[in-house]
Amino acid sequence: MIKLAEKVVTWARTKSPWIIHFNTGACNACDIEIVAALTPRYDVERFGVVIKGTPRHADVLIASGPLTKQQNDRLVRIYEQMPAPKFVVAVGTCACSGGVFHDCYGVLGGINSAIPVSAYIPGCPASPEAIIDGVVKLLSSLDPKEEKAAK
Amino acid sequence: MGKVTIPIGPQHPALKEPESFAVTLDGEKIVSMVANLGYNHRGVEKACEGRTYTQALYLIERICGICSHTHSTCFIQAVEEIAALEVPKRGLYIRTIVAELERMHSHLLWLGVAGHEIGFDTLLMYSWRDREAVMDLLALLTGNRVHYGMNVLGGSKRDISPEQAKQILKVMDVLEERTKYYIQVATEEVTLIKRLAKVGTLSHDDAVKLGAVGPTARASNVDRDTRRDDPYAAYAEVPFKVITDGHNDVYGRTLVRVGELMESYKMVRHLVKNLPEGPIAVKAPRKVGPGEAVSRYEAPRGEDVHYVKANGTEKPERVKVRAPTLANVQAVAKMLENGYLADIPIVIAAIDPCFSCTDRTTFAVKNPDGKAAGFIDWKSLREYSIKWHKNNGVDFSKMRIKIK
Amino acid sequence: MNEQEILQKLSSKFPFLEGKGRVARARRIFCDVPNASFREVIDFTIKELGFSILTTMTGVDDGETLGFIYHFASNNGMMLNLKISAPKDNPVIKTVTDLFPSAEMYEREVEDLLGAKVEGLKPGRRYPLHETWPEGQHPLRKDWTYVKPAVSGK
Repeated sequence: MIKLAEKVVTWARTKSPWIIHFNTGACNACDIEIVAALTPRYDVERFGVVIKGTPRHADVLIASGPLTKQQNDRLVRIYEQMPAPKFVVAVGTCACSGGVFHDCYGVLGGINSAIPVSAYIPGCPASPEAIIDGVVKLLSSLDPKEEKAAK
Repeated sequence: MGKVTIPIGPQHPALKEPESFAVTLDGEKIVSMVANLGYNHRGVEKACEGRTYTQALYLIERICGICSHTHSTCFIQAVEEIAALEVPKRGLYIRTIVAELERMHSHLLWLGVAGHEIGFDTLLMYSWRDREAVMDLLALLTGNRVHYGMNVLGGSKRDISPEQAKQILKVMDVLEERTKYYIQVATEEVTLIKRLAKVGTLSHDDAVKLGAVGPTARASNVDRDTRRDDPYAAYAEVPFKVITDGHNDVYGRTLVRVGELMESYKMVRHLVKNLPEGPIAVKAPRKVGPGEAVSRYEAPRGEDVHYVKANGTEKPERVKVRAPTLANVQAVAKMLENGYLADIPIVIAAIDPCFSCTDRTTFAVKNPDGKAAGFIDWKSLREYSIKWHKNNGVDFSKMRIKIK
Repeated sequence: MNEQEILQKLSSKFPFLEGKGRVARARRIFCDVPNASFREVIDFTIKELGFSILTTMTGVDDGETLGFIYHFASNNGMMLNLKISAPKDNPVIKTVTDLFPSAEMYEREVEDLLGAKVEGLKPGRRYPLHETWPEGQHPLRKDWTYVKPAVSGK
């Protein structure tokens, strides 16, 4: 019984991940590309991706931007509010490592300085195609059938 | 109902940048608002002091992802002035073409964001689809959709080939038709007018006193545009109209931006058709200065000002950036005075906030009796706003003019 | 009025400004002004010379002193950049927010990033540094260097 429930939940999560987006101090280029991924040209909604407003309903946290000191606590708070299992996608070079701002005094580094990251999507900015590619790769790594096939 | 303070932000899905506003309410009416800015503060100005001019150029470009060419050009203009470099005409024209393309993508982006804020998501989808035509052009000319890297100390990094020029002209024709349609919707669709008119009013005198810039100021009949008043790049050789409007509200700001889109198409056509022959850049020295310069640029959001001080080495002594949103932010509190809670999303979106440029500040709100009351996140505020206006007769599903 | 005429008008009204100004290029004038006479000078430049727009104010670390450059503009695109200085061990300047409400953010910025003291600036939240930023640390001072704290990835 539990196995079945697990299977349903995983199916729901991989077929329709609910996403929350947070900008930790970016220049917004990646954020615009994330929104562009929703628009007709790229249309990430066909993958079942839905953007939610609150962390309590989200499966995946999409974070962009280098981690600034101000945003550190808030990012951790949002991550903690997400129910498990949860995944974090770092979009853009800045979110991966701090990027071009890595040695600026307001910046702590990439977002993995604060929370564990499941997938890194580099790029300055990460193009919508790269974002979709990254999200799809993350989802298929969650799907147990795919995992078996990969093994 | 007594006064309630509602902090909004800094995590909210609609406005893509982290900022926080605190609003004090009396029932549904806004009593006061303060902004806390600083969430995006990265320390770019200090970082520039430790980088060479070329390294600093790439860093400054990434201050903002929507107006990256703005900051890049504004900065490099100041350095070129100190180094007494004369950029060849063709280089200036290419810079200007990319500048106007950036203005186009920014205004189309704004149109979509504004639509999203008022619950008109169809507008978001259509305007961003049209925006992709500009993004494709920028990728064709520069190699990237954002952060074009088109500038180099002394001119432009890449040239425009005749095929690219033809493609630019083709896209201008397509976009002009689409924008004429958006203008029709903006000026004739009653639902849209009802939603945007008399919202976020800012009188001419207040706009001047509070230092508003760009379309926000021009919608209050403040006739200022850096491209005409303090020409830079190739603007002195391009005929164009400065679009002003007297509505003093969000509706006016919409009209100014679509009007500017139309002017931009004309300007790019003129620039491409009159592109002079010649080199695109001059050789630049590694060491610059000593000297200082102030450079101004009309970003899509308003006037951007860079101050650069050089000391004869290969690294700048001081770089100061004053982005347009910082100038407009002070006017927002005034615009919301006596407004409704339901108007906050569109009023803030209407100054086209680029908190990235402004160094990511947050707005704080003052509570008269010092107590914090409720908490509402941005998404809930936007949903509340859309529902509130629907109850007042704003229903985009009942539009006369169907968007296509 | 062209750039040279503006400088002439300034020096004839304020003889202590003689030789302190220069025309960098079209529409760009720079001038050093003694801190004590700043208010008098800008009352004149705002009312009589048309420089009614304060675009921004830049704080600089000049070693022994802190400099503050006020970038004024007129409606026809001309810029008059006036610089005042104050000793680094007592960097006090007076607010101009009564004339320019927008100056508030620029004045807070020099207080936070350079350690200046702006007399008459109403109390408020610091800008742009974070509320947990330690006192007495002013990043834009030349002797302030950033040592990146070691952060372990998780």
